[in-house]
Amino acid sequence: MGLIECKEVCKSFGEKVALDHVSIDIPEGKIFGLLGPNGAGKTTLIRIINRITIPNSGEVLFKGAPITQRDVEKIGYMPEERGLYRKMKVGDQAMYLAQLKGMASRDARTALKEWFIRFGIQDWWDKKVEELSKGMAQKLQFITTVVHKPSLLILDEPFSGFDPVNADLIRKEILRLRDEGATIVLSTHNMESVEELCDEIALINKARLVITGGVEDIRREYGNNNVELVYTDADGRHTEVLPREVDGNSTLESYIAKGVTINSYKELMPRMNDIFIKLVTGEDAK
Amino acid sequence: MNLHNIGIIIRREYLNKVKKKSFLITTLLVPILVAGLTIGIMVVMLNTKEKTKTIAVVDDSGIVMPYLENTETIKYVDCTGQVADSVKLHMPDLGYDGLLNIPGLDVEGKTIHPDLYSPKPLGMDMTQNISNRLDKAVEDYRIASYDIEGLDKIMKDVKSDVKLRAYTVSESGEEKVSEAGVYSIISMVLGIIIFMFVTMFGSMVMSAVIEEKQSRVVEVLVSSVKSTELMFGKIIGIALVAITQFLLWIILSGVIIGAASGIMKDKLLSQADPAELAQSLGVNPDQLDTVDLTQLAAGTDNDMAAALDMVRSIPIAKILIIFLVFFLFGYLLYASLFAAIGSAVENAEDTQQLQIPLTVPLMLAYIIALYAFKAPDSSIAFWASLFPFTSPIVMIARLPFGVPGWEIALSLVLLILTFILCAWASAKIYKVGILMFGKKSTWKDLWKWLKQK
Repeated sequence: MGLIECKEVCKSFGEKVALDHVSIDIPEGKIFGLLGPNGAGKTTLIRIINRITIPNSGEVLFKGAPITQRDVEKIGYMPEERGLYRKMKVGDQAMYLAQLKGMASRDARTALKEWFIRFGIQDWWDKKVEELSKGMAQKLQFITTVVHKPSLLILDEPFSGFDPVNADLIRKEILRLRDEGATIVLSTHNMESVEELCDEIALINKARLVITGGVEDIRREYGNNNVELVYTDADGRHTEVLPREVDGNSTLESYIAKGVTINSYKELMPRMNDIFIKLVTGEDAK
Repeated sequence: MNLHNIGIIIRREYLNKVKKKSFLITTLLVPILVAGLTIGIMVVMLNTKEKTKTIAVVDDSGIVMPYLENTETIKYVDCTGQVADSVKLHMPDLGYDGLLNIPGLDVEGKTIHPDLYSPKPLGMDMTQNISNRLDKAVEDYRIASYDIEGLDKIMKDVKSDVKLRAYTVSESGEEKVSEAGVYSIISMVLGIIIFMFVTMFGSMVMSAVIEEKQSRVVEVLVSSVKSTELMFGKIIGIALVAITQFLLWIILSGVIIGAASGIMKDKLLSQADPAELAQSLGVNPDQLDTVDLTQLAAGTDNDMAAALDMVRSIPIAKILIIFLVFFLFGYLLYASLFAAIGSAVENAEDTQQLQIPLTVPLMLAYIIALYAFKAPDSSIAFWASLFPFTSPIVMIARLPFGVPGWEIALSLVLLILTFILCAWASAKIYKVGILMFGKKSTWKDLWKWLKQK
């Protein structure tokens, strides 16, 4: 049983169908990638989980029970279109958003001060948001999303707008929060970070769920079941792609018997990027 | 709805607006402006009366001149015997502001055919004044022509000085001094204030909604609170700003006017023309015209007391309470509609077209309210004070003249019901609108969102 279960969720806006019987299961304590091309219905699904939008049919369960407005306090959501009050002071802004998530004023202040120190931005408290650079505002946005210790964190393109150093900082924070028990939904077009961070994914295309499951399983499923062997002999270095056998040892033994040096032997898995393109366009990437 | 969340939203909205420089400036500036204007009018009044106009009179009829007594505003110079046309040509050089030319008596018609010439217009009051005196001269001439014995004595006996005091009698039989002038001013001021407040704070709600949508903070907010909580928190927060501002205006205006009039009091009482004083208190100066000038001075205290009586007789507490109730619901009605419109656009420039259905009834109400003091019980004022989109403004403008309790109650019930209906509709539109980006919305879209499940 997942932390969040979407069952047969349908949503349409007038004639346009945004979600067509989508069922996904977001396991607790994992990082879950929500993938799909622009306009596929990801944002609508996220908004339905957040109870911003009510589905036409189907339901969303939170810990096994239909999600309520109170559960929303346990969710932290960072939308793709970041937004803060430009004229408000950084501290007031963060306090306001934390209180709306149900934090008491004193707890919010303590927690925020900790986060500000962790991100090295304690001097910003009295600055106005409009004085911040884009990257700085992103940091603030991230803090306001996580300050109330949500058990579900929904991050839409969390790395956009960050320089590599700060993107890495955010990546580490995401992993740390996961290790502390939070469930994280990551919606991104960056397939490298999907491979690196996500345990499970769901791919949505044209309002429908195309595939969902563990990242490793999916990559294996879409692979050709090949292995890559790199060895060195008298002629130099060679790379060979071989069909994987049940018993990989015998393959290796036969090569070793030829007197070559084995450099590496690994399962060949397709990139998530290629799987994405294949599933969305129906064609192979190459 | 979660009251705790609404409380947090109200608090932010309120503090955010109240801490703004523009709030501080308008809060301080308006009372200064009002006080300045009031004091300015007083000063102008004091100074204008010193400017006496000099009128040359060529009286060939021989009956008018005795009636032209000099007053503080008009000085008559008898130029009888001079050629009227040459005086007319040289008025400015001779130091005259006007020439009253009265040709010989029309014996047959027992009348005169006077002409008044001036290089600059003399103003209604002055010509009216002169005309009254000419009438008096001719009337006396005609009476004299009947050759009645002992006429002087009769005329002395006949001369009367009746002072009419108007009272309105309420159903309970209680008598109140009434004076249309005082009520007109109060009616106009209340109408203007409520129009200003509904428009100003209604559009403040709209721009607050637009700000949240434009900065995209709205999506974060509605992931924490319901959109209806957000909308009503905003509307209530700004209502509190309005009430704060209103109270501060009353207090500050009172303090400034009080201080200023304290300083000016002596000057006012020693110099002011009673007519002007009375006018400043809202008493119609025409009433004073019938009174002889010499008697006027003696009667001043009485008139002032009467004027003050009138001001006191107005049920200020009752008007204030009804004003606040109508303002509150009028504001709520318009603010919720303004919020719906704000939710449909991404920047302030796009609101103009959508706003028209709101600004038209507001303007209409304003215009009707300004005329309400002329005919507070006319059918247009009556219906406009029941129609919910105009009633807050028109009813308040009618209020000082006395409105039957059932009309107020009916109007209020209609207003509240309309508010509930509009708030419900606005909440639905708002909910969809705030997350709509990239498309210019029309009323048709709003209607579609309203019907959306």
